[in-house]
Amino acid sequence: MALNGHLLTFLIFFPAAGALALLWLRGDDEVWIRRFALVVSLVEFVASLLMVRAVTIGANGYSLEEFSRWISAPAINYHLGVDGISLFLVILTTFLTSICVLASWKGVHHRIKEFHVMLLLLEVGVVGVFLSLDMFLFFLFWEIMLIPMAFLIGIWGHDRRIYAAIKFILYTMAGSILMLVGIIWLYNATGTFDLPTIQLMLHNGQIVLSERTEVILFLAFFIAFAIKVPLFPLHTWLPDAHVEAPTAGSIILAGVLLKMGTYGMIRFCLPLFPEASRRAAPYVAALAIIGIIYGALVALVQPNLKKLVAYSSVSHLGFVVLGIFAFREISMQGAVYQMLAHGISTGGLFLLVGMLHDRTHTFEISEYGGLCVPMPRLAAFFLFVALSSMGLPMLNGFVGEFLILLGTYQAHWHWAAWAATGVILSACYLLWSYQRVFFGAVTHEKNRELKDTSARENSMLWALAVVILWMGIGSPFFTRRFAAPCKTVIEQMNPNLMHEAGLPRISVPHNGQQAMDATERLASR
Amino acid sequence: MPTLLILNHLWIIPLLPLLGSAINGLLGWKWPNRIVHSVALGATGLSFACALEAVREFFASGQQFFRKEFFDWIVAGTFRAGFDLQFDQLTVVMVLVVTGVGFVIHIYSTGYMAHEEGYWRFFSYLNLFMFFMLILVLAANYSLLFVGWEGVGLCSYLLIGFYYLKKSATDAGKKAFIVNRIGDFGFMLGMFLLYRTFHSLDFQTLFDAASKPGVAIEPLGQFGTITIACLLLFMGATGKSAQLPLYVWLPDAMEGPTPVSALIHAATMVTAGVYVVARSHVLYMHTPTAMYVVAIVGCATAFFAATIGVVKSDIKKVLAYSTVSQLGYMFLACGVGAFGAGIFHLMTHAFFKALLFLSAGSVIHSMGGEQDMWKMGGLYSKIKITFWCMMIATIAIAGFFPFAAFFSKDAILFAAFNSEHGGKALYAVGLLAAVLTSFYMFRLIWLTFFGKNRYDEHHVHVHESPLNMTIPLMILAFLSLTGGWFALPALFGGKDYFSEFVAPVLGSGEIAGLENAHSLELTLSGVAMVAAALGLIVAWRMYAKDVRQGKSEGLHKILYNKYYVDELYQAAVVGPLVWISQNVLWKVVDVGVIDGAVNGIASGTTAAGDTARHQQSGNTRSYAVWVLVGVVVVFAIIFWPVLHPALFGGVR
Amino acid sequence: MENLNQIMLRNVFHVLPELVWCGFGVLLMLLQPFLKSRQSLTFVAMIGAAAGTLSTFFTLLGSGFSGLITFDTFSLFFHWLVGLVAFLVILGSDSYLERENLDAAEFYALILFATVGMGVLASAQELLTAFIGLEMSSIASYILAGYRRDSIKASESAVKYFLLGSFATAFFLYGIALVYGVTGSTNLMALADASPNSTLLRLGLTLILVGLGFKVAAAPFQIWTPDVYEGAPTPVTALLSAGPKAATFALLLRIFSTIHAATDFWFWVFWILAVLTMFVGNLGAIVQNNVKRMLAYSSIAHAGYTLVAFAAVTFVRTDPDAVAPAYAAILFFLASYALVSVGTFTVVSEIGGQGERYLTYDDYAGLGTRQPFAAAALSLFLLSLLGLPITAGFFGKLYIFTAAIKSNLIWLAVLMAINSVIGAYYYFRLIVVMYMREYKGTLPADASKGLSATAAMVVTVAALITLYLGLLPNHILGIVLSQPLMLSAR
Repeated sequence: MALNGHLLTFLIFFPAAGALALLWLRGDDEVWIRRFALVVSLVEFVASLLMVRAVTIGANGYSLEEFSRWISAPAINYHLGVDGISLFLVILTTFLTSICVLASWKGVHHRIKEFHVMLLLLEVGVVGVFLSLDMFLFFLFWEIMLIPMAFLIGIWGHDRRIYAAIKFILYTMAGSILMLVGIIWLYNATGTFDLPTIQLMLHNGQIVLSERTEVILFLAFFIAFAIKVPLFPLHTWLPDAHVEAPTAGSIILAGVLLKMGTYGMIRFCLPLFPEASRRAAPYVAALAIIGIIYGALVALVQPNLKKLVAYSSVSHLGFVVLGIFAFREISMQGAVYQMLAHGISTGGLFLLVGMLHDRTHTFEISEYGGLCVPMPRLAAFFLFVALSSMGLPMLNGFVGEFLILLGTYQAHWHWAAWAATGVILSACYLLWSYQRVFFGAVTHEKNRELKDTSARENSMLWALAVVILWMGIGSPFFTRRFAAPCKTVIEQMNPNLMHEAGLPRISVPHNGQQAMDATERLASR
Repeated sequence: MPTLLILNHLWIIPLLPLLGSAINGLLGWKWPNRIVHSVALGATGLSFACALEAVREFFASGQQFFRKEFFDWIVAGTFRAGFDLQFDQLTVVMVLVVTGVGFVIHIYSTGYMAHEEGYWRFFSYLNLFMFFMLILVLAANYSLLFVGWEGVGLCSYLLIGFYYLKKSATDAGKKAFIVNRIGDFGFMLGMFLLYRTFHSLDFQTLFDAASKPGVAIEPLGQFGTITIACLLLFMGATGKSAQLPLYVWLPDAMEGPTPVSALIHAATMVTAGVYVVARSHVLYMHTPTAMYVVAIVGCATAFFAATIGVVKSDIKKVLAYSTVSQLGYMFLACGVGAFGAGIFHLMTHAFFKALLFLSAGSVIHSMGGEQDMWKMGGLYSKIKITFWCMMIATIAIAGFFPFAAFFSKDAILFAAFNSEHGGKALYAVGLLAAVLTSFYMFRLIWLTFFGKNRYDEHHVHVHESPLNMTIPLMILAFLSLTGGWFALPALFGGKDYFSEFVAPVLGSGEIAGLENAHSLELTLSGVAMVAAALGLIVAWRMYAKDVRQGKSEGLHKILYNKYYVDELYQAAVVGPLVWISQNVLWKVVDVGVIDGAVNGIASGTTAAGDTARHQQSGNTRSYAVWVLVGVVVVFAIIFWPVLHPALFGGVR
Repeated sequence: MENLNQIMLRNVFHVLPELVWCGFGVLLMLLQPFLKSRQSLTFVAMIGAAAGTLSTFFTLLGSGFSGLITFDTFSLFFHWLVGLVAFLVILGSDSYLERENLDAAEFYALILFATVGMGVLASAQELLTAFIGLEMSSIASYILAGYRRDSIKASESAVKYFLLGSFATAFFLYGIALVYGVTGSTNLMALADASPNSTLLRLGLTLILVGLGFKVAAAPFQIWTPDVYEGAPTPVTALLSAGPKAATFALLLRIFSTIHAATDFWFWVFWILAVLTMFVGNLGAIVQNNVKRMLAYSSIAHAGYTLVAFAAVTFVRTDPDAVAPAYAAILFFLASYALVSVGTFTVVSEIGGQGERYLTYDDYAGLGTRQPFAAAALSLFLLSLLGLPITAGFFGKLYIFTAAIKSNLIWLAVLMAINSVIGAYYYFRLIVVMYMREYKGTLPADASKGLSATAAMVVTVAALITLYLGLLPNHILGIVLSQPLMLSAR
């Protein structure tokens, strides 16, 4: 295996190394900095692709696991692993990060070095979150990721950036610290932070959480995740953060950070607290559906294009949450797929909105109008991405939405029925805004001279377009890889199924004995 | 066993137009028209040829049904949506209509669009449409069909909004897409329900499962699973095929270039709904309720749209409403179980309606873009070819023997007449609609071609269209004349080859145990002829001599304003939705309540901090007092027995 | 059977660090007339601090002076801590003294004397010894607080500190008296099993608690803190926030980990004091515009967090494998806070400039570009105070959370969580100001010259330790958790 079994470690810390290098090496030449950052992010991307071969189709449990003791008390271990679900989220992250570096080539003018350092550090945090199998490690990266993001918003953002940055930090902190309490409580009950171990213990009944405890723990985790997602009504940080953030920030924020919430739900809430999840499902679903419709309707009337896209995220993520909490294999896979699809399409939309801003220095739809005429290429790409975002078949958005609705319908048809209205509304707000931005005669003379997409921009847009098409047509390539993990999660939901299903394999290839030890020690208690 | 070259690579048929679209879309902008349209025509022509070859092979191989899975598109758990194509008699009809008529219209477009901006864009879209339409008709499962279904919607959006500088055009495009989406909402739910019931979306498995003896027929008035599923599918159909209440987008769609109106909004796309219903006839057979709904909606639409068509003055609008009305007929046919007749009418309609639109286009072209019939007149002598072609189409649609619609429409009315549950009423309304049809069509003819010319000679130089426009007209004219002759023998007691042909798929529309069916059919045909004649005569009396546009009032006004349906939708749905989103959800709920609460917490904390700061007076004496207070507090805690952990350990 | 001299000698070896520090304190005073250069004095003082700290290696474990003091690994830990703090503070104040041009010798001497007091506090086995330690450190701090004679603010704060301090000390003393009255002894060991249901004893213990609560600035006895911290010379503030606080907490811990009676009574007191202190501290800090004052409040808040751990300890005292982590939590937290706060105040004192003029948030605007190093370091410290991962503060908080939850104090944990969020606001706000705001108006001339070499050293050390504790808390924790560190009483 590449890097003799330390691929994941490499993935996490290579960007950090890159950031350090940026800090120490020559800071004067900005082009050099950009190129360097680009190279780093591309190498990271390529490296992340190596994981695909390692994740065996149809296998439970985690691949490429790495395990070493870190802190003895409380027993915190450096335990990494990747499975079908995290695999593509990591790739998405590395992919979008490279896009971000390119996207800020012209957009970011001051403190360029710091900007790229922050971008890379952010990547460290996010990748870490997706690869950690030790809850504590997970939390660690979860927190680390906050600061660079806040800086991206706060330093390179727009007018109300500071308000947005602080709001972002506090909002997320509020959730995550409660989660910390929950994690510790869980540690207190199980004696380990090791996720697979805990799952194992819960499912062969070494640990039994009282109903009350389970509910409280569920909430402690769920609220933190719900804020990240963001689930209605915890979403109000999102529009501010998005509108104020620089393009790169928005791309990463919408593309990946929001997914950390839904990822957490799949990884922690469902398998660890099945009973509580089942009890919460109706309420969560209700909120998700409200989010879908509400987000869409609010997006419909936004005068600010970026805000519009931001609210559309609220709507789309509602689908994901719904898919997760329908507890159906199909809907779960749909949810995971929707995470990726949304990452690409909404990332793309923010990229394009950013390009508009680079040219016009405004997000107000009323300031645009008839942009088709000066910028046909950009308009075409925008339409393409918008279509993918509104779930047109053969484009990435459709697969996820379709599976989510299909699966949900099998469980609760009325949920699906309500959610499906989102399909209509997404068409409404996207087409309406598109018409106002691009169609008709040019409404502002100054817009007549705008330049169409440059080669650099085309390269990014083409990359996105290809992915969008591929995900729309060749979806099995992805679904096959995260089918098994999704199945496992569903099975873990009802323990009685576990026995014939077979427990999630805890195989720690090297020096991973400790995890097992922990299990036995607790078993013997 | 002959080699099935094309049939085994069925994907080639849709792929060719896709390639054409991609090539033109990516490179066309720097090419001269010549290359652009040769690419586009090449793609469509080839795919037409392939279609013919496929048909040949299909019959040569002598199999009734061909199905092949090419690759997995979506796989999740037990669900599989494959890129599976199938080929049977119904497909044969559809594929030939789509590729054939499509090809002809492509030729026509080369002339019609010759002087337009974005020639390459137009053909790219048109090819893309061909691709999706072919997917739609070749698909072997609902999910893949849905791909085509949405795809053609997209193309119609693009083509309606082709003149993107005109707000009305882009509005119409948007409207079309969204209204279709509303239908698709139902369509999707329908699919989900089917999957939930039968655990598959493949036509084959689904229909086999449905036609098992175990599956009971749900009696009229009972809303069982299949009924609901069928109604949901039909909801989609009403959207796509512009039936009540979702027909509103089609008239607006006339904003698009005329060839588009001919291809998409007359011949092919709008008939997709009929196709789906016919395709799912196995399901519909299980639910009289749904059938009845389909019949009534179809019948109502046929009449309703015709009434509007009677007063419209825009030549294309008239044709648009006529399309809606004719689609109504097709649904009526399906509703009364005569799926064969429905498809038959679909085919003939494709011929004569395409012809009508194209000739209308030719008229507009010759008039230099004028569409208002009240500004035409007396064109007969100036554009003979166009006139004769249009005349043929008109006679055809009016339903005179031996033109196409005579056979198809009669088959429909006959089936309606014999259907139980108020078949006579359906027939009566249908017949009335027929009268109106022939009336508004001949009104169109007279207003356009006869009487004094009402246009300004000095500005408009009427000229016949070039060959590449007139030849397609003639081809279609021929088809409109002969298209119905499959059923000719039926008149003389022979058999109706068309329904014969599609019977393996759709079942024979024959009404069992009906004696002297043949004589009845003859009489009904006679009645229909009379009706058509009636319409013709009235139109002639009213419009033959020179007339001016009267001011519209009363009923005419209502009709002219399309019963104010659009206004109604605007006031009842769109307006409130936007208003609420704007002023309630966003301004109040989001900014006010939720974010207000968040910021409220923040400011509340700060306020608390202020108070905490203010007892920091800086005065030492007051500090001492505070310390004392503290002491008292501590004492209170310690000497307050209730708080003793031993007693009160639980709550912390 | 050793003779008197040997006993004397052995006792001396129990208090070796104190003696060394004391000695160097005196030495400094004597040297003053001869050593003109400040640097050399600083050097001597640092030697002193270091020597005292290192002398712990030769210090005998066990109790001496017939049980007046006991030098166990617990007090060893605190000797190191206060020693290190003193060392850093001295190093850090060098440039300060230069700026304000104040006499170095007394200043350093006082710091060392205060350190002695803290040492005594940490190893006091006897309430009276404890009292002496308390006074030594306090009196030294009173003087230090007012060391800037020319500044009214400083003098005022010194007086305030002195008055209230004596006020509190009175409580402490009276408490001791009561305890003695009941039990006839002031030796902790003797008190260990005193009957818990004597009202007088309770009264005594309560008064002791009040006295100590004042020193550690627990609400509602925190009242003096903001003024004094703001008024005192910043290096002194650093010392106050780090040293005495830690030492007093050490004493507190020792007292009631020894005296069963105390633990039983004190649980709810700690619970409520903790909550009060956290909220007063954090809420107070939100609204400050003066960084120094904000940090004062933040130090109150941290006292509150420590008290949470205390509540946990009192509760789980009976369960040995739960109590150890709780102790560990306290020790680790105190250590991490002490070092971080020394680092923070050192930066603040440097930014403050001549006469401590630049203390408001606005003065920090654009620091990120003006003085990258200082800003970066300060941010690191703030993040640690805020409790973000890979900093010492994070693990400090984490251990306290763990202790609290282990003792099933869920609500306390949740309240603490809420407070951390409030804290996040004002710490992050300062970072925001440093990096995201431009300086308004014209920059003062001396605004952009970076930290002085000495201060830079202090900051670097503190920063490194912060990161070290944040990445590998194991090592320290290993020491803290290792059996010998259990109080000799247990």
